[in-house]
Amino acid sequence: MNGTTTKPMFTVWRALLAVIFLAGAYATYLRFVVGWSAATNLSDAQPWGVWVGLATLCGVGLSAGGFTVAAAVYLLGMERYRPIARAAVLIAYLGYLSVCVGYAYELGLPWLAWHAFIYWNPHSVLFDVCFCILAYTTVLTIEFAPVIVEKLKWTGFRDKFLHWHHRLATAVVLAGVLLSSMHQSFLGGLFLIFKGKIYPLWYTPYLTTMFYLSAIPAGLAMVVITLYLCNRSLKTKVDPEIIKEVAWVISPMLIINLVWRMVDLIKHGGGAYLFLRRPETAYFWIEIALFIVIPVVMFNTRWIMKRPEGIYWSSAVVIMGFITNRINVSINSLERATQAGYVPKWPEMAVTVMLVTCAVLAFRYAVLYLDVLPRRAVPERARRWLANAGIAANA
Amino acid sequence: MSAKKALLIDITKCIGCQTCSSACKEAHGIPGDPEPHLSATAFNAVREQDGHYIRKMCMHCEQPACASACLVGALRKTEFGPVIYDKKKCIGCRYCMMACPQSVPRYEWSKLAPYMKKCDMCYERVSQGKPTACAEACPVQATIFGDRDEILHEARKRIVEDPKYVPHIYGEREFGGASMFFISDVEFEKLGFVIPKDDEPLPEVSKAALDEAPTVVLVGGTLLAGLYWITNRRKQVLLAEAQGKTIKFPMTHDDAEDRS
Repeated sequence: MNGTTTKPMFTVWRALLAVIFLAGAYATYLRFVVGWSAATNLSDAQPWGVWVGLATLCGVGLSAGGFTVAAAVYLLGMERYRPIARAAVLIAYLGYLSVCVGYAYELGLPWLAWHAFIYWNPHSVLFDVCFCILAYTTVLTIEFAPVIVEKLKWTGFRDKFLHWHHRLATAVVLAGVLLSSMHQSFLGGLFLIFKGKIYPLWYTPYLTTMFYLSAIPAGLAMVVITLYLCNRSLKTKVDPEIIKEVAWVISPMLIINLVWRMVDLIKHGGGAYLFLRRPETAYFWIEIALFIVIPVVMFNTRWIMKRPEGIYWSSAVVIMGFITNRINVSINSLERATQAGYVPKWPEMAVTVMLVTCAVLAFRYAVLYLDVLPRRAVPERARRWLANAGIAANA
Repeated sequence: MSAKKALLIDITKCIGCQTCSSACKEAHGIPGDPEPHLSATAFNAVREQDGHYIRKMCMHCEQPACASACLVGALRKTEFGPVIYDKKKCIGCRYCMMACPQSVPRYEWSKLAPYMKKCDMCYERVSQGKPTACAEACPVQATIFGDRDEILHEARKRIVEDPKYVPHIYGEREFGGASMFFISDVEFEKLGFVIPKDDEPLPEVSKAALDEAPTVVLVGGTLLAGLYWITNRRKQVLLAEAQGKTIKFPMTHDDAEDRS
């Protein structure tokens, strides 16, 4: 790839890519041509599976870094993080695009999805989620557009676009932060109406808060591992200090999550279920261990944080824990009530993996051919809030 | 057709003959024999438990979770009782199936253009003034059809007059009330009925969360806009100072220091 001379044509990674896309294509064929039972293990008892639990809940949740970093840089003036803002926005953009594509698989009648535009039911949380996701995807398109437009050769259009974009940017970012905060919470709100079906360890009237609070550290962890991987294999030059600082924010947020979660559990009667001998108890503690306890320990261990791989792996554990949380809420918590015995069929996973792969590939090429991340090291500046005397404000 | 209609199912009277299931299939134009469980081709099922026969079908809740969940509003509670489904609107998200506390809706998993299927309380028959097919067909009057008030009155009368009944009308208050009422001589819990912790209608639960949204957006929006204004102002001041006056550089502005 990228035109170097001595690289072999065949590598393990390319073979893996081929397998992923072949499997994904076959799974797509199964889903749209053969039928639901060939492609999924969904049933009347378990109408939602990993396409909701993984593709949607995690896809949106792990995109939370987009609005967090955008808010920090564009609204709160943390200029220091401007070099990673575009990457964070791109992660979110690709995340949302893959959620939108994933819905083509998840919906029974995807060719009628436009009904959501003309038949409104504002009492439905899903309607609000859908509305916010579409609106925020539009916002992300606008936020990311200059990265592509600035490469265009039509200078007249380009300059006019960038001029107007710059004037509107703050409003767009503000709308984006509000929209994404809203539906990160609403994704949890989706599960409120399953009250009575959801195991008490995951049911709280504040599922909205749980989803919002957990999405932020997970989204930031996603930003961290992306930046690390870009530095390592795409030769970008993101200041390791910046990556470290983003990682530093994650640990206190995880602790906030833990405290909130425990207080909420005890307040809403889940405390009695913490130590029963049931599979749910194990799922719960695995989630707490992966999402909170292990990462917090790792983030606060000096010799782990000293090296970039340490930061990378700590963040990776956060993401694993986050995925466990979403799978627990959307699938495992319902098992006792529905007795569905749901385990995803391979095409469900193949489609999900293919979507993630597409997003990763798109990110890779964006970094290689667009100005998403700095390609040469920026000389060390004073480490100060509003560093460089507002020169960036002039940009 | 303004009075609300309802069904009363007296579990003590049901003999498990499956006539209601056959009548249901006939009324909906579905071929085949009665099925033991609800399916995309069976909107009514009769199962046996401990010598009792229990019908299962849509409860036609007064405040249906499915209708509040449906993002395109394909499900709707009609004024005279039935919760009906407009398949022309449906996009197949299956949130109704997840939301239903009784897990009633079924999906046509075998089709490539699947729709949701459930009991419609014989909407067309009822709107013509006829009883539901199941009530009409029942040979022992275990299921009776009528105005909701009268049906509830009848249920109470039976419970008061005969001590064998458990003093509980299932469906009167569960999930905010329904249009299907069950009376029985055994506790409903033992017959596998869904027993909610409280009688709060499920749409209220999500409504409570949705109602908070405008406040959160307004407060959050104002806060963020305010923070932006402050930081932007600081930036401009710094910029002006850096350009206008010859200020010492690298600048050591106290304000800039405190949040580093």
